[in-house]
Amino acid sequence: MEYIKSAFASIMENKARSFLTMLGIIIGIGSVITILAVGNGLKHTVGGELNEIQSGGITILIDAKKTDKYLTGSEVRAIGEEVPEAYGASPSVTAYGDLIGRSTESGSLKGGNEYTLYGKKKELADGRYYNETEAESGAAVGVMSQQAAVILFGTTDAVGKSFDATVGGQTRSITVIGLFRSEEKEIEQAYLALRGKEGVYAYIEVDVPYTLLTEGFNLSGANIQSYQIFPYPDQQDAAALTARRLTENRLGLRGENAVTIQSFASMLDTFSRILNVVTLVVAFIAAISLLVGGIGVMNIMTVSVTERTREIGIRKALGARTGSILVQFLAESSMITLIGGFLGMLGGYGLTFIVSKFMSFPPRILLSDVALVVVISTSIGLFFGIYPAYRAAKMNPIEALRYE
Amino acid sequence: MQMMCRRQPDGQLRREEKQEMARLVDVIDVSKIYNPGENEVRALDHVSLSIDAGEFVAIIGQSGSGKSTLMNMLGCLDVPTSGTYMLHGMDVSHMSDNEQSDVRNREIGFIFQGFNLIQSLTAQENVELPLIYRGVPRKQREQLSVKALQQVGLANRMDHRPTEMSGGQQQRVAIARAIAQAPPILLADEPTGNLDSASSREIIEIIKRLHKEGRTVILITHDPGIAEQAPRIVTISDGRIRSDIKNPKAG
Repeated sequence: MEYIKSAFASIMENKARSFLTMLGIIIGIGSVITILAVGNGLKHTVGGELNEIQSGGITILIDAKKTDKYLTGSEVRAIGEEVPEAYGASPSVTAYGDLIGRSTESGSLKGGNEYTLYGKKKELADGRYYNETEAESGAAVGVMSQQAAVILFGTTDAVGKSFDATVGGQTRSITVIGLFRSEEKEIEQAYLALRGKEGVYAYIEVDVPYTLLTEGFNLSGANIQSYQIFPYPDQQDAAALTARRLTENRLGLRGENAVTIQSFASMLDTFSRILNVVTLVVAFIAAISLLVGGIGVMNIMTVSVTERTREIGIRKALGARTGSILVQFLAESSMITLIGGFLGMLGGYGLTFIVSKFMSFPPRILLSDVALVVVISTSIGLFFGIYPAYRAAKMNPIEALRYE
Repeated sequence: MQMMCRRQPDGQLRREEKQEMARLVDVIDVSKIYNPGENEVRALDHVSLSIDAGEFVAIIGQSGSGKSTLMNMLGCLDVPTSGTYMLHGMDVSHMSDNEQSDVRNREIGFIFQGFNLIQSLTAQENVELPLIYRGVPRKQREQLSVKALQQVGLANRMDHRPTEMSGGQQQRVAIARAIAQAPPILLADEPTGNLDSASSREIIEIIKRLHKEGRTVILITHDPGIAEQAPRIVTISDGRIRSDIKNPKAG
């Protein structure tokens, strides 16, 4: 206790010098905290989003730069039925346009077949999904969320109601045959928005048969260059590989590397690999900064020991043991780095707060990070304090007392 | 002679017991040699000196006479090259650094020429330092330090730092520090060397009073005027004791 008190007094004695000494530690710890908070926030947010669509399909892409070959909707269906590890496959065609109900909203029509339902985590609250016949015949039917129904029709009781969709200058009337369940809160917000109060702007998505888009709206003909395969649980990799092989065989593209797999798992992989590299680079910078900071602490402590030679002599004459002097200076150096660590943590949180203003996800500050900072900064102080403290402790009291 | 004592453990034991009863300080045939070899310096040359509890001894000598070396030896800051130093019945001539630290803390109160207060601490904190190293609990430390500062008449300066005090006041803080935990020996090294004559008298009076209260005082000086205040005067030159006389004028 006395050591801590005296270390603190000694640091306050020389505020400017102590602060400059701490600077390296402050920068190092600050960057560690920032990268940890941003990284954790990013992982948490993206991880959450990915989890939500994790059960979704794996996208198989035919690279338009390497080949002009493509599949038709029925070929996609055939491939899906041939893959033993999957429920099936569905073309994925998306069109953007205006959806006209009570008001005109912009939104998107997502074209697929009846297998698309396997890619949904949402459950149907009302009505049904479109069937195979509807999927292949260009039926003008659609499935949307309860929240979207409130926005378009003013009610969740929307099965059987129709709205107009305008895509590329053409307008079709689409009948709602099913509704996905939305959370109570989302529905409430939609009602609020409807009454013109503060509410959440919701982007509306409607699932429709792909043939409605390719034939009904005459979009891009029947050329399908990407489709989704819906694997059984835990069979993602096998399903994706089989689907790619079948696609290559069907199009005669073997060995041309023109068909690629884009699963969410592999996206997450790529993402976390990038994040890990960024983390590594920042950690490296932080480590160098901490090393330089630690050497700075050692330097200043050595100067301080020399300056206080006489004090050390006095303390030894009065009965301080080697260990007492050692502990006194170690307490001082680790106090410097600990305070530096806390200042760095505050700086890091400030920086994180600013960074989060420019990003769409909240940073996450974990208690374990704080503990990490305390441990790291204290041990830097202890480690780099050993040499000067040892010098102090080993001084000869007679020579130290004679020092001017 | 030392070797002989070692070979006769019984004899040595009896000797130690006897010392413990009367002799506080017993320096037996001590030499200190710096730079052994061609350019060796004999700072102390076969010095023997005994001091009993309750004595007030002045050790006087010119600079270079070996009195500083003797003072370092008596204060357990240094160990002799040969010979034995018995302090309070303990052989302190072959102790490790840490053991010496403990002996200094327990047995000796230092008063230096240059005061040697720690500048960043208040008067009271300075007085508490040896108590901290002794492991005295905080409450008791405060009581002892206040008492010691009262004894030197500085009860109203407890929270002042050394830079805010005169030389005489600083030396009185140093005396308070030396007596706070009531060590058997007060070792004063030129205590008035940095002071004007008024402050010097004041300090000498305090030292004499402490002696009258029963403390053993060893005063090291080059100034005969100061040495005359002590009832026993030991003169040292060229590393040898030249005279050791009673001084009836003291008192």
